[in-house]
Amino acid sequence: MEGKTEVQGILTKVDMADYVDSADVVIIGGGVSGLSSGFRLAKAGKDVVLVEKGIVGWEASGRNGGGVGDRGTEPRLTALGLESLRLWDNLDQELGYPTEFKRIELLGVALTESAMGAVSESAELRNKQGLECRVLNGDEIRKMVPEISGNVVGGSHVTTYGHANPQRASQAFAWGFQDAGGRLYQHTAVTGITVEHGRVRSVETTAGTIKADVVVSAAGPQTGLIGEMVGLRVPISPARVEILVTVPLEPRLKYRLHGNGLYGGQTLRGNLLFGGGPHEWTDVGLTSEPSKPNTPLVRNIARRLAELLPGLKSTRVLRNWAGIVEQTPDQYPIIDMLDEPEGFVLVTTSAHGFGLSPATGQAVCDLITRGKSRIPIDGLKLDRFDNVPDDWREQVRWQVGAYNT
Amino acid sequence: MDKAQLVVVGGGVAGASAALEAVKLGVEVTLIDENPLDFSMMGLDIPLCFGQRMMPTVRDKGLMLQRVVDSNELLSEAQEAGVDVQLGTYVWGSFTNQEHSRQFETPVLGLADDERSWLLEYDNLILATGARDFVLAFPGRHLAGIMGANAVDSLINRYQALAATNMVVLGSGDLGLSTALKALDHGVNVSGIVDVSPEVRGSDELRSTLEARGVPFYISHTAIEARGYREVEALVIRPIEGEPGANNETEIACDTVCLAIGLVPNVELANLTGCLMTFRPELGGYVPDRDEYRRTRVGNVYVAGDIDGFTENMVSNPMIAMNQGKLAALSVAESMGMIDQVKADTTRQRLIPTLGVMEGDSTNEYRSAWLSSLVSTGGMEVNVCQCEEVTRRELLDAAPPRFLGWHGKERGHGTFDGLMKAGPLNLDHVKRITRAGMGYCQGRRCREEIAMLSAQAAGVDVAQVPVASYRPPVRPLPMDILWPEDEPEELRNNWPIWFNIPWVEAEWRGKQKYKGFSPR
Repeated sequence: MEGKTEVQGILTKVDMADYVDSADVVIIGGGVSGLSSGFRLAKAGKDVVLVEKGIVGWEASGRNGGGVGDRGTEPRLTALGLESLRLWDNLDQELGYPTEFKRIELLGVALTESAMGAVSESAELRNKQGLECRVLNGDEIRKMVPEISGNVVGGSHVTTYGHANPQRASQAFAWGFQDAGGRLYQHTAVTGITVEHGRVRSVETTAGTIKADVVVSAAGPQTGLIGEMVGLRVPISPARVEILVTVPLEPRLKYRLHGNGLYGGQTLRGNLLFGGGPHEWTDVGLTSEPSKPNTPLVRNIARRLAELLPGLKSTRVLRNWAGIVEQTPDQYPIIDMLDEPEGFVLVTTSAHGFGLSPATGQAVCDLITRGKSRIPIDGLKLDRFDNVPDDWREQVRWQVGAYNT
Repeated sequence: MDKAQLVVVGGGVAGASAALEAVKLGVEVTLIDENPLDFSMMGLDIPLCFGQRMMPTVRDKGLMLQRVVDSNELLSEAQEAGVDVQLGTYVWGSFTNQEHSRQFETPVLGLADDERSWLLEYDNLILATGARDFVLAFPGRHLAGIMGANAVDSLINRYQALAATNMVVLGSGDLGLSTALKALDHGVNVSGIVDVSPEVRGSDELRSTLEARGVPFYISHTAIEARGYREVEALVIRPIEGEPGANNETEIACDTVCLAIGLVPNVELANLTGCLMTFRPELGGYVPDRDEYRRTRVGNVYVAGDIDGFTENMVSNPMIAMNQGKLAALSVAESMGMIDQVKADTTRQRLIPTLGVMEGDSTNEYRSAWLSSLVSTGGMEVNVCQCEEVTRRELLDAAPPRFLGWHGKERGHGTFDGLMKAGPLNLDHVKRITRAGMGYCQGRRCREEIAMLSAQAAGVDVAQVPVASYRPPVRPLPMDILWPEDEPEELRNNWPIWFNIPWVEAEWRGKQKYKGFSPR
C-alpha cells in the first residue's frame, strides 16, 4: 500500500516509510493508558503498533495535575493505586527517561467546618481499608504549610502519594515503548475496526490497514466512537476542565494539597500547579484534535489558590490551559477484555488515568498475555453499565453544553 | 458585565486613530492601553525588552500617566471626542464561544490594572497591539542593559525614563538608525551601530545624519558577547566569517545593547480570539490573515498597525499605521450601519493607496544571517531560553532540563531526531520536553530563535512550522489581581473539586454513590 496520506485537522502528511500491515496488538490512543499498555506488551515480547491521531500525551495525559495516589477512598481502585505507586518508584529506570516522579505526601485542608466533615469522611474511608490517614487540627496544618490560610480548621495527612510531570511522563512512556520495539504512528487516526466471526481482525486507519487479532482501545474521550466500531455501547461523557500554573518559586510546598476546591502542588521546577472547579460537558470528533479553549475561570481558580495560600497570593499566574477527560456513568474506569468481540480490550479511566497508568498498563498486558490481571480489577467491567439507558447523559445533566453539573 | 460596541486594544498611532475615526462615525468606543506599565512587569521584559534600563521614576504611576498622555496627542484627541480611554490596563485574555466552550453569549476580554481584574464584552474588536522586539541570544545577554528597539522608543517617548548612557545598536535598518538618532537626541551616547549586512540597510538620510554626529558604523560585523558584572560594560564584536580580519575583536565600551534587528507582531490576542495566521517573514513573523477591509477570519475582529506586519518603511511614515487604523474603524462603522457603503468605499479609495507596498525580507534571510553569525561566535552552549536556562544544544538534543540532573542510559528514540521521525516539527511539543519557552517572559525573548533553530534542525522552512500556542493570561498577573471580586454566588457555593459533582439520583444508578473528597 502507498505510504503518503493527507489527513485533516492537525494531522499532516505522514510518510509511511515503514509500512506495517500486521501486528500482534494494535493499541488505539497515545495517552498514558495506551502507552503504558504498549510498553508492557512490547517488553513481554509482543509486536505492538500504537496509533495516535495527534501527538502522544497531547490530551488529558499531558494536561492533568500530575497527582499519583493510592485511591484509598475508592476500594475498587485501591489495588491498582497501590501497585501504581510501587511501579512509579522505578519507572524512570524502566523507561530510561525521566518522568519527574517523586514521592510526596498529601494534605487535605479544610477551611470550613463542613469541609472538615468531608475530610473526616475520607479519612474514615481510608482507615476502613486499612490505609493510614491522620486527621490533623489547624495548628498542625499551619506547621506543615506556613503559607496556609488563617481559616484552616484542620485536615488530613496521607503519606502514600506522589506526583510526576504529565508531559514528560507521557513522552517517557512513548520513548520507552519505542525503545522496547514498539512501533508508534502519530498523526494516524483510526477510522474503523473489522470484526469477523466474533473476533477483531484488523484496524483501519488514515494511513492503511493493520491486521491484528488483539486491539486495545485506550482512546479517552473518543472511546464511545471506537466502541461503536465493534458494536459496543460504551457510555462515556467527555468534559473540558482547566488548570493554571504560576511562575516558578523557590521550593516552598513540601506537600501536595487538596483544599478550598482545588488540587495541586508545587512542581519540581517550582511552579504552583492547581486545578479545580466547574467543567463543561461536551462531545468530541473521531479524527481531529479537539479544541481546548480556556475561559475566565482562571480568575476563580486564582482566587481560591490565593485564599488557600494567602502567603503566596501575589505570585504571578503564568499560564492556564484546558484538557478534555471522559467520565463513565459511575465515574470509575473500565478495564475489560471483552468476550464479544474476542480480542478487544477496553480501557477508559474517567480522569483517574495519569496516576494509575503504570498499573493500568500492567493489567492490560496481563489480560492479553495471561487472560487475567494479577492486580484485581473487579468492578471495572463494561457490563456493569448494561442497564444504563441511552439517554443517561441527559438524565444526570451531563449532556453537551451542560456546565458544572 | 459591561459591554462595548467597539473595543480597540492598543493606544498607539493605529489604535488611537481607529478609535478617533470610529467615534467620529458615531460608534461607542472603548480604547485600552497598558501604558503606563507596572514597573515590575517591565522588569520581567514584558511586553518589551526593557533590559532593566528603566529609571526609578517609572514607579511613580501618576507621573508616568501624565507623560503617557502628554506624549500621545491622538490619545487626548480621542478622549476629548468621547472615546472611553482606559490606560494602565492590560488585556490578558480573549474568550469566545466555540466547540467545547459554549458559555458566552458575546465574546469577552479579560482586563486588569494594578489593582483588580474584570471582564468586558464587545461587539467589535480592533487589535492594534503593535509589535515587540525580535530577540536573539548571545553570551552576556542575561546582563542588565540588553534592550530592544521598541523598548528604547517606549522609554524615551512615553516614559522619558531611559536609564542608558552609552549604547551600541545591533541592526542598521531604519529601525536601528532611528533608534540611534532618538537616543542621541536624548543625551545617550551611541558608540556604534553593528550589522552583519555588507552595507547599511536603512535610509541614506538617516545614515548620513548619524555619521555626521560621529556614530561609528560596523557593517559586516557581528556580536561575540556582552561583557560585564551584572550589567553590560562592553560589547565585543568582530567581522563576520569570510571577512578580512575576521579574528580581530573590537571591544566597545557601553552600558546598553539595543537589539534592532527587527520587530515581531504581537499576535497573542489574535491567536486566542481564533484568528487564523500566516507566517510572513517580510512582515516580521506571524500575522493574522485579513481582507482588504482589515477584517480577520473572525468576523468581528479587525487589525491595524504593527500587528498587521512591521516593515522598516513604517518607521518614518506614521501615516501608514494611522490610515490602517482609520480603515479598520471604517469597516466596523460600516458593519454597524453607521456609514453607507458608497461613502465608506470613497474613503477607502482615498486611504488604501497611502498604505504603500509592504517591502521586506521575504526569505527571513536577514534574521537567519544574524542568527547563524551569533551561533558561530557564541556557540551552542548559549541559553536560547533565558528564563528556563535551556541552551541551544539542549533544545536541539530534546534534552530533559538540567535541573533534573538526569543521567540515564543512552537515549534511543528520545532525541530531537527521534521526534522528527515520529512526526512533523511541532514547537509546542519541543517546548514541553525541553521547557524552552515556558518561562516568566512568556516566550517573548526566545520564541523566534527557538522556531528558527528547530526548523533548521528539522530541515524545514520556518514558515511551514505551525505557530506555537499562546496561553492566557498573556500578561503574568498576580493571583490577588486576577482575583474576581465579581464571582457569582452560584459559583462561590457550588464549586466542585474534581468532578465531585452533585449526585443525580437515577434508578439505574442504584444505591451507589460517588465517594471522594468533597470540601464545601
